[in-house]
Amino acid sequence: MTTLEVPTSPVSRGHAARRAPGAGIRTRLTPWAYQAPVLLSLGIWVYGPLVFTVVLSLLDWNLTSPSGSFVGLDNYRRLVDEPEFPAALGRTVLYVLALLPFATIVPMALAIMLWKRPGRVSDVYRSLLFLPVVLAPVATALTWRFILDPLSGIANVVLGDLGLPQRDWLGDTSTALWTMSLITAARFVALNILLYGAALAALDRRAFDAARVDGATEWEITRHLVVPQLGGTTVLLCFLCLVYSGQWTFTNISVLTQGGPVGTTDNVYYRLYTYAFTFFDAGTAAAAAVTIVVLLAALFGASSLLRRHRAQP
Amino acid sequence: MRSPDTVPATTATTAAPPPARPARPGGRAARGARAAGRHTVLVLTAVALLFPLLWGLSGSFKPGADVFGANPVPVPATLENYRFALEDFPIARLMLNTFVTAISVTALQLAAGALAAWSFVRFAHRGQRAVLGLVTVALVVPPQALIIPQFLMISHLHLRNTLVGLVVPQLSTCALAVLLLREHIRSIPQTLLGAATLDGATHGETLRLVVLPLLRPALGAVGIIVFITTWNEYLWPVLAAPSPEHTTIQTGLRLFANQEGPDYGPLLAAAMLATLPVVAVYLLASRRITDAFLQSGLR
Repeated sequence: MTTLEVPTSPVSRGHAARRAPGAGIRTRLTPWAYQAPVLLSLGIWVYGPLVFTVVLSLLDWNLTSPSGSFVGLDNYRRLVDEPEFPAALGRTVLYVLALLPFATIVPMALAIMLWKRPGRVSDVYRSLLFLPVVLAPVATALTWRFILDPLSGIANVVLGDLGLPQRDWLGDTSTALWTMSLITAARFVALNILLYGAALAALDRRAFDAARVDGATEWEITRHLVVPQLGGTTVLLCFLCLVYSGQWTFTNISVLTQGGPVGTTDNVYYRLYTYAFTFFDAGTAAAAAVTIVVLLAALFGASSLLRRHRAQP
Repeated sequence: MRSPDTVPATTATTAAPPPARPARPGGRAARGARAAGRHTVLVLTAVALLFPLLWGLSGSFKPGADVFGANPVPVPATLENYRFALEDFPIARLMLNTFVTAISVTALQLAAGALAAWSFVRFAHRGQRAVLGLVTVALVVPPQALIIPQFLMISHLHLRNTLVGLVVPQLSTCALAVLLLREHIRSIPQTLLGAATLDGATHGETLRLVVLPLLRPALGAVGIIVFITTWNEYLWPVLAAPSPEHTTIQTGLRLFANQEGPDYGPLLAAAMLATLPVVAVYLLASRRITDAFLQSGLR
């Protein structure tokens, strides 16, 4: 068809240049042109800062002064030697452990419940149960402060009426971390119901119908046919819990406790933020950031190995 | 319709017809009890998950002296808290800031995300896996680990307390949009794209005339997700726009909380004003959002 056209037509010439195999640099650059906005954004705001943070972590630099001096690994040594960062790391792990059931077992059970009876009612439940993910975190945290007010909050009023012990739930060192975890748990339950739902939607229902015809009970089907197929999703959601528990508790810590009482609700992200923007100690904060990213990368590697291992029967 | 070979061997070999409904203990009454139990569990979970929203909403309508009252229904109800919050703090201004910021971030992320997602599908064979890997990793890099360089860049460019300083760095979270849109473009039948190519359409024309019209529902869903995420963003506005006139509603709420102290009525009203627009947007499009996740192929 193109051979019949007038060869000097600019349209057909442009067309031929694009079509020709190995037309050179233009063809090879096309994918990059499409990706340029995303790659530039990630380069400038994610990967550039990541490299910059590694450099910063080797400097002694107070953010209020114009420049810093090279101190090698001193900042990392300080992180290990001073008690705050290891303690915050331990608490970060405690948060993850407290939140894991809310990221796995609870949403899995609810998602299976919704999946077993598909239809309009389940869709309504699914929409309502996802709502905590979209609620403004600062507004929710402030509402929790109202609910948990030690003197007149509804939590203590109800507990008092029931004759149960009242507490300053966020101010007491023995309960603060668990209270904070429960406050954050709603988001995990809500998001993961949907993510388990996505995994369940991909399963072939006919296999379960066959088992049902064979006389298997609903519990047996769930226990032996459905749950084992959710293994890969569960590993992924455990990893997401590791990543997001720290980030999602960050807002609650910042609004509700600022890490207190006596550091019992601190986590590594809030510690990093404190180093940087309370003490203006850019070097130590950057060292904390690098430590966090390295630990996450190691966990990411372990979790993808585990997923690959599970994928092979 | 089930094809004959998927019928289990046991029913195929036995002469007796399979029971119409598998025998379950108890029959109709037990099934009714099971359904009631199921609804009880689901309703209780919903109430537990949404308790702060419900209790905050009810408290925001209670008059000052009664704000801690245990009655879940605010009787007598008052709008005094809302009036006080709007007069005492630039809530309206903050909400406008937040809206403009969220709309800008959404538009930029959708435009950049659709272009990149399209190129990942179209040029899938040309060594793009490594680039896709970089985008995926960006999804799990914690934003807190990047704030110091980001903050220094914004300060040195004198972009603190400006819209550009609020919006542009939030492109760092565009990875989710790219990956979700890529899944949706991948589900477009290859024959459609092939037909466009046969007709002589360039990559750009195929994107504009074939892919984008089909992608509209997905763009809507992803756009709403990005909008809500940006509306709720807290960390970046704290650093990039600390002044109460230029910041967003989440940071503003925090400042308002410091100002009000224990006076909870206006604070709850402000919290509800910061929450309800997002809840409204979500409820209008909840099916789209949940479907975007359900069909994302995430597993």
